[in-house]
Amino acid sequence: MKKLSKKVLGILTAIFVWLPALAWAGGPKAVDLVVVADTRRLTGVQHYFANLYNENILLFAIWAVLLTAALGSGLGFIMDFIMERTGLDLKSRKLVEH
Amino acid sequence: MDSFWYMYMPIAGVSIFWPGMVLIGYSVGVIGGFFGMGGAWMVTPGLNILGFPMAFAIGTDIAHIAGKSMISTIRHSKFGNVDYKLGIVMLVGTMAGIEIGAQIVMYLERIGMVGPIVRWIYVGFLFLIALMVFSDYAKAVKKSKMGAAAGEKGVEGFTWYKTLHKIKIPPMMHFKVAGITCSAWLPIFVSFLTGVLAGFLGIGGGLLRMPALIYFIGAPTHIAVGTDLFEVMISGLYGAFTYTLKGRIELVAVFVMLSGAAIGAQIGTVATKYSKGYGIRVAFGIAVLCCMISIILKQFKYDTAAAALILSVISAICIYIMGIMFKGASAELREKKLASGK
Amino acid sequence: MRRKYLMYLATLLILLFSVSLASAAEVLQGKFVSQDKEKKTMTVEEYDLNMTPEHKYGVPTGNLVEVNVATAKIGIPPEPGDIVRIAYKVVGAEKVALKVMNVSKQDLRKK
Repeated sequence: MKKLSKKVLGILTAIFVWLPALAWAGGPKAVDLVVVADTRRLTGVQHYFANLYNENILLFAIWAVLLTAALGSGLGFIMDFIMERTGLDLKSRKLVEH
Repeated sequence: MDSFWYMYMPIAGVSIFWPGMVLIGYSVGVIGGFFGMGGAWMVTPGLNILGFPMAFAIGTDIAHIAGKSMISTIRHSKFGNVDYKLGIVMLVGTMAGIEIGAQIVMYLERIGMVGPIVRWIYVGFLFLIALMVFSDYAKAVKKSKMGAAAGEKGVEGFTWYKTLHKIKIPPMMHFKVAGITCSAWLPIFVSFLTGVLAGFLGIGGGLLRMPALIYFIGAPTHIAVGTDLFEVMISGLYGAFTYTLKGRIELVAVFVMLSGAAIGAQIGTVATKYSKGYGIRVAFGIAVLCCMISIILKQFKYDTAAAALILSVISAICIYIMGIMFKGASAELREKKLASGK
Repeated sequence: MRRKYLMYLATLLILLFSVSLASAAEVLQGKFVSQDKEKKTMTVEEYDLNMTPEHKYGVPTGNLVEVNVATAKIGIPPEPGDIVRIAYKVVGAEKVALKVMNVSKQDLRKK
């Protein structure tokens, strides 16, 4: 019984992974959607990035990845620093029944 | 429209209820940190329910994963147990997969079907997660009833990888750290499929890649964890890049969510220290089911109900986890004070 | 060591920032009037920025603008009456479009 449910779960996973590929097949042909950011009512940094989006998407992509990575690691540092100050013992943990 | 509660998204051109966005980011951090799995599964539908066009929701989700995986990489300072050879071989498949997934999204957008199709696949996906969580719970309950000795037998689980290792299509490769030898096509194929799904749904894919690494490739669990982390980071960064190139990312939203997630992840991770028992898993499963229901609501145009349901469920589970954390933490600090006072 | 690394990073960021600061594209939104296939231009009646519930895309100004779309990335081909949003650059006396978005035919809000 247990084995069966496991197998079913596995097969379901397998089918599921294939679903997007199935969605790919067929369907009506259509044109690309183009998005233009409306820079007219933006100022400052937002204007800069929205303009970059319109003008030079590659540079925008590099910026996006860099900034995301930087913000991620920056926040990681800051939060670790703050959590250290709380005086909680975060290195060891009591046995947890997981 | 331009009221205080709504934030204008310059690229997608929509105004979004920003507290909802902060709440989703924060909850993903708390819940992901607590259960040790991505939690990105609630971001794409969540953003879509708040009003983001589907393609933007996916792109924004995948970019925020990239940022979040940077946080966890910083935390572990290195990945720990990574089979780099396996990781790099898998990268080929992962990146190709993500690209294909993203291309499918763009194609569906062109024919105007991206919303419904992604939503329905998400419904199936979340159902699968819920099934996994509940069966895991049932197993654990059974095990504790039978006692540890009787339960040990079940540990081996699937051994499908033994069969898969018999497929000897060249080039054969040996992965020293993971201690396995198989055709290079096996990890590439597995990572390709998970990559497609990750790129398509805007998730890290760890939820699928981890079991795949263990059951299909036969990597030991600790290697699977490390290698998966490595894969998530690279795939997140690549996904962010390719979705930005396709113009389907909202940078402002990424930052808002990332900031929320960074704070939330700390609370979630600390809370695991004080949590006991499996009860919380059931709450998690219910949260997944509620998320699924709210996607269905969204599909049938009950937008407000969908938003209310998903936001209230994730805030409830967040408050519960925060409760665990603050109770545990204050108890620990009190004990420490007592100990130093003596 | 770390300081040097940070310096490198800062320089890189400043470089990146300055690359595209010099030029800025402009955006125009309005009603598509006609397209000249031979001259590869589009004529658009400009709308202003006063978005109201009656005028979701701004109020018509009656100002006709001609844009060169020879090199532009065009989304769903607009038909007369469609609202389009165009990112363009001014080159000499001409407005050269980079991207043309068909706002009315691809209302992203519905996706």
